Amino acid sequence: MAPRLVVLSLASDFGCQVQLTNMTDELLDVLGLVELSYWQLATSGHMPADYDVAIVEGAVTTAEHVELLASVREKAAVVIAMGACANIGGIPGIVGRSDLEGRYALVYGSGPAVAEGRRAPLPIDSVITVDYHVPGCPIDTAEFLRVLSHVLLGLSDRVPDMAMCASCKTNETVCFFDRGQLCLGLVTRAGCGARCTSLGRACTGCRGIAPDANLASAREIAARAGVRAGDLDDALRVYNAMTEVHA
Amino acid sequence: MAKLTIEHVARIEGHGNITVDVADGVVRDIRMDIVEPARFFESMVVGRRFDDAPLITSRICGICSPNHVLTSIKALEVALGVEVSDRTRLLRKLLVYGSYLQNHATHLYILAAPDYVGLPNVFPLADSHPDIVERALRLKKLGNDLTTLVGGRPVHPVTAVIGGFTSEPEAEALQGYRDLLLGVAQDALATVELFASFPVPDFRTAGEMLALTAGDDYAIYDGDTAALEAGWRRPCGEYREFIGETVVGHSNAKHSTVGGRPFLVGSVARANINADKLNDAGRAAMAKSGLTLPTRNPFHMNVLQAVELADASARCAGYIERLLDMGGSSIPEPFRIRAGEGGSATEAPRGTLYHSYAVDDDGIVTRGDVITPTAQNLANIEADMRAFAPTIADRSTEVFTLLVEELVRSYDPCLSCAVH
Repeated sequence: MAPRLVVLSLASDFGCQVQLTNMTDELLDVLGLVELSYWQLATSGHMPADYDVAIVEGAVTTAEHVELLASVREKAAVVIAMGACANIGGIPGIVGRSDLEGRYALVYGSGPAVAEGRRAPLPIDSVITVDYHVPGCPIDTAEFLRVLSHVLLGLSDRVPDMAMCASCKTNETVCFFDRGQLCLGLVTRAGCGARCTSLGRACTGCRGIAPDANLASAREIAARAGVRAGDLDDALRVYNAMTEVHA
Repeated sequence: MAKLTIEHVARIEGHGNITVDVADGVVRDIRMDIVEPARFFESMVVGRRFDDAPLITSRICGICSPNHVLTSIKALEVALGVEVSDRTRLLRKLLVYGSYLQNHATHLYILAAPDYVGLPNVFPLADSHPDIVERALRLKKLGNDLTTLVGGRPVHPVTAVIGGFTSEPEAEALQGYRDLLLGVAQDALATVELFASFPVPDFRTAGEMLALTAGDDYAIYDGDTAALEAGWRRPCGEYREFIGETVVGHSNAKHSTVGGRPFLVGSVARANINADKLNDAGRAAMAKSGLTLPTRNPFHMNVLQAVELADASARCAGYIERLLDMGGSSIPEPFRIRAGEGGSATEAPRGTLYHSYAVDDDGIVTRGDVITPTAQNLANIEADMRAFAPTIADRSTEVFTLLVEELVRSYDPCLSCAVH
């Protein structure tokens, strides 16, 4: 029997779900391998009582999200975290842990905004165990298909541990630090093929900090290249604000 | 039917519920609750460097990210006094139109079409009507590929920066896309025919309509904001002076008004205001649509998006010819960081998108403001639902629900955009 699949989203911009619809060459083949049980973006229908695989996009920002994830973990044999928000907190994480009231005041004035159950934005593995990871902002569809095939074949999660620099070496991209510019590729998890740097944009860290990253050494390299002290850590606060960064 | 709630309305971007209170066939209350949690984007950019703002605010929306990136960049260019080349402007227009092709194809075929063929989603059509699904995927793919050609990837493009682009497509690749764009003319016309063939309710919105308008182009990248009924034109960067925003209790999305009235943005407003700017392909598509402009029917958003597909594919082919011919550079020129304020707008697929920022002498953002198309449309959507619901109150719950959802989906709403 084909695994019953649900696609869910928490706090996100739907960009990774849009990437799923962007698999114009593969989408129909993928749908032939699974039973699509729920996907609010693409189909009418209600959340089913049972399913096998849950793809979750978005960061956890409300008590309702926590409840939903608990129920997802109970029902699904496999949970896939899709995108930067679900994997590392991502852009929603910029909001951080403090001064939510100040942010409400700045955006909504004294108006009656809906603040029920609001909590600090966190990745979904802060609430439940995640089986497979597709990082990135947005996800790369080729990587998604690779992970999904691992899920369907029962293979293990194989998200790369090394830093992005290796990809730039392979691509023969001139290092940003050689031009005196900051790049987070030094400490960011590889796996996207270093698309941004090959297009002239420094890495912004959307895939999260690599387990193999050496932050102390990265700060030294940045300083040697003439990057202002503190800029590397400040840049990490765009996508990785909710990740503990050790000195 | 007493109280009816449609939770997590399907086939729209973001999370929203519709609540209808009906007694004895009379609709007592109807509202749209945007249940997206607050996202605080306007606060996220404060205290960060100006060049982080386009990257951060792009993540307001995964479906119209090229518009967010470019609107943010343009507003900051106003604030910092940065000029860009004609070549950069043309490349940016291609980036916006790539997003139009992708978005319109997605909205029309994947999100809206199932309503009119009695299906929960588009996928079963792959077996019964493969020609339609293949056409949808061709248009969507071309949009994605065009966005990728110019921006580096279809969602959250990376090459567009303040002052220009960090990377440009090769001439040969551009030439190839010119031919591909001309090649989808038939697909665009077939889309117009398909959506013109779907019967829609005869309904008139009471709202004002706003869209960008500029010179002799069908404005999507720059221009003034024009009001259809009031007849005025104002610089789009001054939007905070003519669009009022109010916080409502039942939603984290603010509602917008102009002159105290709800208003509509999107393809209906654009086509009404800029009908005379449509190119030959757009005019031919208009003729096929059987519509006469101006129209006040929001259900016509769909067929007019299809008309825009025809206009856009021919227009982009023309832009590419000019790019191949003109020379020049899109490499950003160095500029001095200075304190300033600025606002700007583009036409996102679902309507006008405004951004504005203030930066200090060190280039740190001290204020950020965004009004998205769906935030502008929400008050009008609710007003439309209130006017429309009583006219269909005698229908079965199933039909009533579908018609209300169809109305909402016609606006191509993006609820994550609405709560930003």
